[in-house]
Amino acid sequence: MSASAQEINNLINQEYKQGFVTELETDTFPIGLDEDVIHKLSKVKNEPEFMLEYRLKAFRHWQTMKSPEWAFVKFDPIDYQAISYYSAPKRKEDGPKSLDEIDPQVLEAYKKLGIPLDEQERLAGIAVDAVFDSVSVATTFKGKLKDAGVIFCPISEALREHPELIKEYLGSVVPHTDNYFAALNAAVFTDGSFVYIPKGVRCPMELSTYFRINAANTGQFERTLIIADEGSHVSYLEGCTAPMRDENQLHAAVVELVAMKDATIKYSTVQNWYPGDKNGLGGIYNFVTKRADCRGDNSKVSWTQVETGSAITWKYPSCVLTGDNAVGEFYSVALTNNYQQADTGTKMIHIGKNTRSTIVSKGISAGKAQNTYRGLVKVLKSAENARNYTQCDSLLVGDQCGAHTFPYIEVKQPSAQVEHEATTSKISEDQLFFCQQRGLSAEDAVSMIVNGFCKEVFKELPMEFAVEAQALLGLSLEGSVG
Amino acid sequence: MTTAIASRYTAEYPTIAPTLPGQNLVWLTALRQEALSKFSALGFPSLREEEWRYTNVSAIEKKLFAPSVIGKVQETVSKELLSKYQLADAWSVVLIDGHFCAELSALEGLPETVTIMSMADALAQQPDNLERYINQAVNNDEHSFVAFNTAWFTDGLFVHVPTKLILEKPVQVLHLSTQNDALATTRTVIVAEDMADIKVIETFVGMDAAYLSATVTEVFVGCNADVTLYKMQCESDKAYHFGGIYVKQAKDARFTHHNFAFGGLLARSDIHTDLDTASECELNGLYLGINRQHIDNHTRINHLKPHGISRELYKGVLDDRARGVFQGRVIVAEDAQKTDSQMNNRNLLLSNDAEADTKPQLEIYADDVKCAHGVTVGQLDEKSIFYLQSRCIDEETARNMLTFAFANEMVDKIKIKSLHDQALEQVLIRFPQEGVNKEWL
Repeated sequence: MSASAQEINNLINQEYKQGFVTELETDTFPIGLDEDVIHKLSKVKNEPEFMLEYRLKAFRHWQTMKSPEWAFVKFDPIDYQAISYYSAPKRKEDGPKSLDEIDPQVLEAYKKLGIPLDEQERLAGIAVDAVFDSVSVATTFKGKLKDAGVIFCPISEALREHPELIKEYLGSVVPHTDNYFAALNAAVFTDGSFVYIPKGVRCPMELSTYFRINAANTGQFERTLIIADEGSHVSYLEGCTAPMRDENQLHAAVVELVAMKDATIKYSTVQNWYPGDKNGLGGIYNFVTKRADCRGDNSKVSWTQVETGSAITWKYPSCVLTGDNAVGEFYSVALTNNYQQADTGTKMIHIGKNTRSTIVSKGISAGKAQNTYRGLVKVLKSAENARNYTQCDSLLVGDQCGAHTFPYIEVKQPSAQVEHEATTSKISEDQLFFCQQRGLSAEDAVSMIVNGFCKEVFKELPMEFAVEAQALLGLSLEGSVG
Repeated sequence: MTTAIASRYTAEYPTIAPTLPGQNLVWLTALRQEALSKFSALGFPSLREEEWRYTNVSAIEKKLFAPSVIGKVQETVSKELLSKYQLADAWSVVLIDGHFCAELSALEGLPETVTIMSMADALAQQPDNLERYINQAVNNDEHSFVAFNTAWFTDGLFVHVPTKLILEKPVQVLHLSTQNDALATTRTVIVAEDMADIKVIETFVGMDAAYLSATVTEVFVGCNADVTLYKMQCESDKAYHFGGIYVKQAKDARFTHHNFAFGGLLARSDIHTDLDTASECELNGLYLGINRQHIDNHTRINHLKPHGISRELYKGVLDDRARGVFQGRVIVAEDAQKTDSQMNNRNLLLSNDAEADTKPQLEIYADDVKCAHGVTVGQLDEKSIFYLQSRCIDEETARNMLTFAFANEMVDKIKIKSLHDQALEQVLIRFPQEGVNKEWL
């Protein structure tokens, strides 16, 4: 394609827009990790005693584990003693009571990111929990949600105020022994969101959490727990960004979803951590454990993710379909450019009768990136009439990237029907020619084709996010065509 | 984990070593020593290895299979078994418990330029030639079963077809195992020079005994040559089987493999092929599992150069407590633009206790390619059954007909009449007889 080389260069060098650093005073722990750090962390967060025990148990277990090596990603070993495990903007003793008390710098940062914390602003239909490094700085619409009976607050607040719920559910989907990063997270997680939707309640608005890494040499360890009680419904969105830095930063999150009888949880992610520069320097290591337990009959969990950021992505949002007739869905677009590496996919574990799952995964690989889909569909003997449909397509842009598909399918029930399809191809010259012949530039044509390729997933996203995702995809891909 | 038990095999090795062929060859001794140290370090593959995660070979470790001595057993060979499997319209070579048996082999009328001889003879008569081939199609990073074979192989076969020669009749290699606790480790090398054409049938049968057959076949397909390999695995239902086939395809070479996995308590096949520019390969497979059988098929298609074409279709029918495993890998290297690859795996589960595990993988490093894979695990189509019922066919017959048709698609790909009939019979004896009306065959 002949789109001028200069133009392409300009586009390649387009800055990561969210890469700024906010200068502010912080409380940051010195680097290093041992039991003292965990004691201190628990104390700073004013946690109940049982949490400290939980953390220590996890930490001791983590020390016995080894960093996993099976994923299709390459990185230097992480020095866990060179990371600070807590960093928060300085604030008064009790934390901010209202927006006026939040550091204006932090507010400014969120404004710059397009996430107004002011309830009067544009995204009036969405309640936001803003997590800045290790703490939640603000949660909007708390009052309105409370009227509906919905609990939406930072998880550190939930630890103090709803210990009974935490005791019952925390670690019940992803136990601290689950994997290396989940164990680390259980030991040192700092903040995240907690959502509880009571019986029969349809959450009146979209809930969302915006994660921002700001401080250098820190790791972000978020923990999110969403519980949808019988017959409830909630839609939750998650977004994330980080400054541009030359060193890699670790983000090891754990997300647990619990769906009771007839409940529905829709969880959407637009992941836009800093991906590193075009030479593969810097960027976030995004090692995340996300799992949903569809405990009740007729429950439903739907994961939608758009992954464009991070130097390395390593995540498998999964569904354990325990209840009869439970439904699990996974829609994913993973885009990697330059030296990004993504090993992502899902696990669908069918346990209940008539459980159904759908997996639609679209991987786009450009530059020198490696993009891997890894998924497990497991049908246990008890899962009569289970049904799975999997489709994973890969699109290659450029001749130095890789796209890989590793599906694992294990079926122990003869009445189950499992289908898997995968294709890998590049953007067809014919399609490009057709668009160009109709007067579109090569860039626009590619963007249009890629958006079409991802449409099945984008249509699952809430409207505001869909627009953002589409723009993001265009931005990340620009310049890589030619 | 498994090295402690593997050491039982390693400890036996010095007593076995002097009986192995090619003692005087320095390169072979070095090769065997290297393989032995690799095997003693690693032991048999464990479930922790990604390529073996669904297949547990610990039962092999618990026993100590030992190679048999030449000539000791030949009188006990079941003539009935031989006549059942030995094909009349082929040149045939018989290997009993891992040793070539000249009396039972039939090679009359073989063109003079074609070489078919036992591995032991070949190592004695043309060692330099074999040095060019042994262990050359196998990648160094292969799992320890290959090393085990390299260190332990007692005999095997060497087949060489010269340039432009088209061999009219197929060559059958009949592996027969006769006794309990016997170890049959053979190494076969098949070379088709440029523009040659050969069809080889590897048949594995055994008398009612628990033995281990661990074979490795290396195939070299020259430029524009055509090699078709059939594997009929009808081992005894107490036997353990490992059969690895490693292929190097030159430019424009064609390789076709038909893998029929019927027998064995635990059976594993590896088919790995490396493709050069514009080479083509076709891998077909059918695995039928009944009782407590565990059948694992592992394929790897490695597209190294541009314009390669690969087609793969594996079908499995699993009944009783059987477990079927399919692991297929297609790798498209950076250079291999314009690759066209398709992989398919279809599984039919007939019982509540049967299990299918499948893992089709694509690893793609080139952008201008067409690659697809598909997998299904399920049961017979209810609409098809209904259709047959509406034509006055009872449900059981309908199910049998459809199951048979599902499997028969693979049998019908066999181009050799006598082999086709053999495979058909194997399919039929493994399915409920009632209702399978042979009239419509």
